[in-house]
Order: sequence, then C-alpha cells, then structure tokens
Amino acid sequence: MNLFEKIFNHGILSRLEDSGTFMVTAHERGWLKTMLLHPAAPDAFAPETLKKLASILEQEQPFIIEEDLIEKARSMERQVYHPHLRTLRRIIVNRSGIRLGYTVKSGQAHQEQEGLPYKLEYSMVKREWYLLWYHMRNGSMMSTRLAKIAAIAELPLAADHAERLLADIQAKLHKRMASAKIQVMQEYNRELSRILYAFSCFEKDVDYHADTDCYTIALRFANNESEYVLSKIRFLGKRVKIVDGKLLQRRMYESATKALQLYGATE
Amino acid sequence: MAKESFDKEIQFLRMLVLTSGAYSRGQFAERLGISVHTFDKTIKRLKDIVSSVQQNLPQSKGKELAETIRYSYYDSTDPMLLFLYRAKSLKESESQRISLLLAAMQDSSLTTMELLDACCSTLPAELPMPDEKTIRSDLKYLEEVGVIAREPGPRPFRYRINNDLVTELTQDELLDLYHFVDVMSNTQIPSVQGYLLRDGLKKQLYRQQEALGAAEPFLYKYHYYSRILDEANLFTLLDCIRKRRYISFLYFSPKKPKSYASKNTNPLFEREAEGSQERTLPLQVVYDHQYGRWYLLSYDSRQGIKKYRMEGMTQMEVEEKAAAEEDFLKKREELDARIKYSWLIDTGRPITVRARFYNPGHSQPNFIKERVLLQGQWGVIMDEDEHSFIYEIIVNGTFEIKPWLRSFGSSCEVVEPAFLRKEMIEEWKELQTYYESVRENF
Repeated sequence: MNLFEKIFNHGILSRLEDSGTFMVTAHERGWLKTMLLHPAAPDAFAPETLKKLASILEQEQPFIIEEDLIEKARSMERQVYHPHLRTLRRIIVNRSGIRLGYTVKSGQAHQEQEGLPYKLEYSMVKREWYLLWYHMRNGSMMSTRLAKIAAIAELPLAADHAERLLADIQAKLHKRMASAKIQVMQEYNRELSRILYAFSCFEKDVDYHADTDCYTIALRFANNESEYVLSKIRFLGKRVKIVDGKLLQRRMYESATKALQLYGATE
Repeated sequence: MAKESFDKEIQFLRMLVLTSGAYSRGQFAERLGISVHTFDKTIKRLKDIVSSVQQNLPQSKGKELAETIRYSYYDSTDPMLLFLYRAKSLKESESQRISLLLAAMQDSSLTTMELLDACCSTLPAELPMPDEKTIRSDLKYLEEVGVIAREPGPRPFRYRINNDLVTELTQDELLDLYHFVDVMSNTQIPSVQGYLLRDGLKKQLYRQQEALGAAEPFLYKYHYYSRILDEANLFTLLDCIRKRRYISFLYFSPKKPKSYASKNTNPLFEREAEGSQERTLPLQVVYDHQYGRWYLLSYDSRQGIKKYRMEGMTQMEVEEKAAAEEDFLKKREELDARIKYSWLIDTGRPITVRARFYNPGHSQPNFIKERVLLQGQWGVIMDEDEHSFIYEIIVNGTFEIKPWLRSFGSSCEVVEPAFLRKEMIEEWKELQTYYESVRENF
C-alpha cells in the first residue's frame, strides 16, 4: 500500500469537492475495519450502526500488523471512547447548555450544576477524556473527567446567550496562557532533535543565534499545565534550562533541593 | 517517469515543524543540504498544495506556510501535515479526467463507452480528448484502489462509485462515524488513512448540513502531531517485513547537523552525501510514545541487530531478495528476547532498578502512584505504606528509564543500582546550580 497514491492528489481532491463527490479508497476502509476491531468501538455506535458498518466493510481487508509494529512507553490505555462522548458531543454541536452531576477529586459529589460545555479533551498522557465547560453560576472554567460524571441533561440556550458565553470563554482561555523560555544547553546541541521532539506537543517558537550556536524555545501553555511542563523539563534534565519564567525556575530549584535532601546529599 | 520520492518534502516539513521559525532561509537550506533556490521552489510547491486543499477554509488564506502548519492547541482539530499525502504529482489532464469520471459515476452506474462520452462532452476543449483505452486504464486503476466497483452482470460492464459508507448510513450515523474516525486517528497508530477518511467524511457532512462543521468538539492534549510524517515510510517497511525483504537506504543519523542531501543529477553541483548507505533486513517497527518517534529494528549479517530512527531514512529501495522464512523467524525471535526488557529500544544488559516513590501527602489524591501505574510499563509496586512505595523493574540499561524517573522530581528516590543513584545525585546537584540565582526567593 502506498500512501502517495495519485487518487489522493490535491487537484483531484479539490475538483471532487467542487462537484460534491464523496470518494473513499480501500485503504481507508481497511483502516476503518481495523479500528472497528478495537474494544472501544461498541461505545461509539448504536448496535444497528455497527451491524451496518460490518456489512458495508465485509469485503475489506483489515490491516494485519500484529507483532510487526509495537508501541513502547505508552501510558496504559484506560479509555479510548467513553460512552458519554456521544451525548456530550451532540450538546456541544447544538450549542446547548448542560446540567451535570459529578464528583470531584476529593470525592465530594455535586448535583444539578449548570454550565456551557465547549470541548471534550483527551489527554494522550493520562489516556482519559475530560469535559471542558463553563460554570454558569460562579463563572469558573471547569475540567471534569468523563468517568466522574454521573448525570447529564441538555439545557436549551438562546443562540445569542451561547454566543456571549463562548466569547467570554475565549477571553478567559486567552488570559490563562502562560509562557516560559527554555534554553538548550550548548553541549547538548547534538541532541537537539530529541529535545525539540519532546516539546513538539506544545505551542512554541524556536529562536536560533548563529553567533553563539544557541537555541531558545519559547513555550506557550495554559497556566494549569505548568506541572506537565515542569515534568518535561525535569525529564530532559541537564539538557535544558529555563531562562525566563520565575515561577518555573523557583519550582525547579525547589525540586532539585528537595531531591538532594531526599538523597541525604545536601552540603 | 522516475518514482517520485517525497523525502525532501518530509525532511523539509519536519524541520519546519520542529524548529518553528528558528532558521533563516540560508540556514534552513544548509541544514537540509539543498540550495536556497531548491528551498524556495519546495516552499512554493508546498504552499500551492496547502492552498488548493484548503480552498474552502477562508481563515487560512494568505497565511505563510510556517504559519499554516504552526501548532495552536485550540485550533488543532485538522491535522496540519496531512497535506503532504496530497502531494503526489499528476498531469492536469489526468486530474481533470479522473475527477470527471468519479463525478459521473456518482449518480448512476455507467459503461466504459458512456463514461468516454461523458468525458468528451465535459472536458475543456483545450485538453486532449481521451480514447477508450485511456478510460479503461483509469477504470482499472480506480477499481484497484477500491474507489469504484464493477456491477455484477453481463458485458458491457457497468461501474459505480463505491460510496456505500455514506449512502447507507443516516445523517446521525454518519456523524457517529465521523467522530469515531476522529478519535481513533488521533489516539491510535497508524493514523494517516484515518485522517484521510476523516477529511472525506467532514466534507460530506458539510455538504449535508453546513452548521455541523462549525463546532469541532474534540481536542487531544500532548499530542505529537508531527508523527504522521514518518508514516510515509511505515507501510513500505511493514510490507517488507511481511515479505521478509531486504531494503537499502541512505541514512542520516539525527545527531548529525544535516538531515537530507539532494540526489544530484548535475555533477557540477554534486555535494558530498553525508549519509551512510545501509542495507538491512527489517524485523520490526517501534513507535516510542515518550518522544513521538519511530524506529526500525533490523538485522545485519555483520553487525547483528541494528536500530534506525525512521526520520533519518531516505531514498529507500526495496530489494527483490527475501530472507529465508526460517532465518527471518530466528532473527525475530532473537530480537523479541533482546527487547523484552527495553524501556524503549535499548538492547543492553538487563538490570534491576528499584526506586522509592513518595505519596503527595495531606490526604491529597495519590497522583504519584496513579502515574506510576499508568506509565511504569511492566514494573511492579511493592512495600507500600502510607508515605511511599517501592517500584521495581528489570530493564535493559538505565539510560532510557532515567528521564522518566527524573521527571518525578523529589517524589522519586532511586535506591538501586548504586551507580544510577549516584548519577541522579550528580544531576540534581548540577540542576540546582542552574537555578541558584532564584535561591533567595525560595
């Protein structure tokens, strides 16, 4: 199988779009058939849809990969398609409000909380789904694990009200952005590729000074992501140094000091 | 026409994505081992593809290429690098003809002659008119890639577009399918075919109900989105493995500053290729979730097990020669045993690592243990009390697991082996000096 088939050519594609033609290759159907074998598939469809799909794809060959392709250092796959996704996704697409019952980290249960859901977020690290929503009464930005949601009801919302809230959410998201500058220590420049890969899951700009052969990475992230950014920086160890971002620098100093105390290695 | 290679485009896009604006044109070209002229030509070609693929997305108009493929979390619903797979070049006449044939077959099944008529009556006059033979060969190709199907029945055969996937599902079911495809292509590998399907379904949904497209509900956090660039070579390699074939390629180790060299036809401009010519028997492909990188593990008769980063493999040629089944299985078995305890792909000596992890305390939820359970691979938790627990794992060498242990900061204390414990202490000491200047605030 070749991924660079001429049928995928951009010219053909845009012409088909103009004529309103839907085109699908055996490659894509084979991929779909493979994915439908995943234990998460029954959560994503009604049973009759699954049956229909099975009959449409009867002739297709699924990808046989087995031992030829393995994955390493993957977080355990706890959840791929949570049963709540279908319900919540429809509410988001409808731009409706929501009434939720859920429990928080401490175990405390909340009922009948009203809000506007705006995204469903999957963490590739935790391998789990979260609902991002705006809490109407106290105006806070919420992130709730789907696994902790016990009750969901759709609340009709006037279009202009939803519009206003979404604009408000945008502004709040924008305000929550934090940034940090990270310098690649020069003796590790030959590991640049590894370092840049590690940061490729963030919004970033890279700056290169040819005179000093020095790379600086400017990261942008939501301020509640700082813990994850820090764990990445500790992960890379001596290869990188935070050069701008007081809070993160302080946390790194604290980590190092506490770790040395743990090892009984303080002077 | 010579086989079209996308090595240059792939290396180009990877560098653009990873270094996000760090290099000037000259610096960029130098690192790719191409001229500034080739750099400009490549960027123009890629921009043309992006703009034709995204013609209906007004927000992307006029953006610079680097800007278009720049990662922005809240706008990250469409995989930006997918357009690479739309880059196969095609003659204008062929592109027009194939699109016309497909559009014609959308409404009803047609014979070769009917399709020829449809083509001749619709194609612009300045293009050469196809003959029956051309149409037959187009149909053969389209049938091969599964885009059309031949109807059962006597000659002359009738062909129809194979789009049961959208015609047999209701609007609601189609939406379920779209979201399933979205989730699976984002969370599973391989994913390029899924992204291509997602793209087709998305356009179909737009056509049926424009408003649906306005809200893309899903986001994927901490995603290595450039991983799809390496899938370009994945299927060639998987196919080689299945057929036990040898391959040869020009390899650029990612530690070298140059990552590509133009294949020169003009001897006056010949550069010294810095890559090394390799020939090997592929055994297994590994995807590393820690960095979002791909590896090929293979066998070389002189050096035994070899490891290559897939991003460094260019000018790949599959050989006719295949290994004997028995030999292949023996090598593969050997490899399985060697990587059984690899945190990633290290085939060094197995060693037992023991580390004490400290719980967060203050009756907080135990996110430390949760993370160890989630990411600790085959390691086990033991000697647990209310403050801490021991994590033990047999692993090949300590090089690959060390960053993970260090990422826990002061919640992790390496107990064994002693040399790793010592290394950790040294590293924390050095890291402490990095931030000495903020000490007074601590």
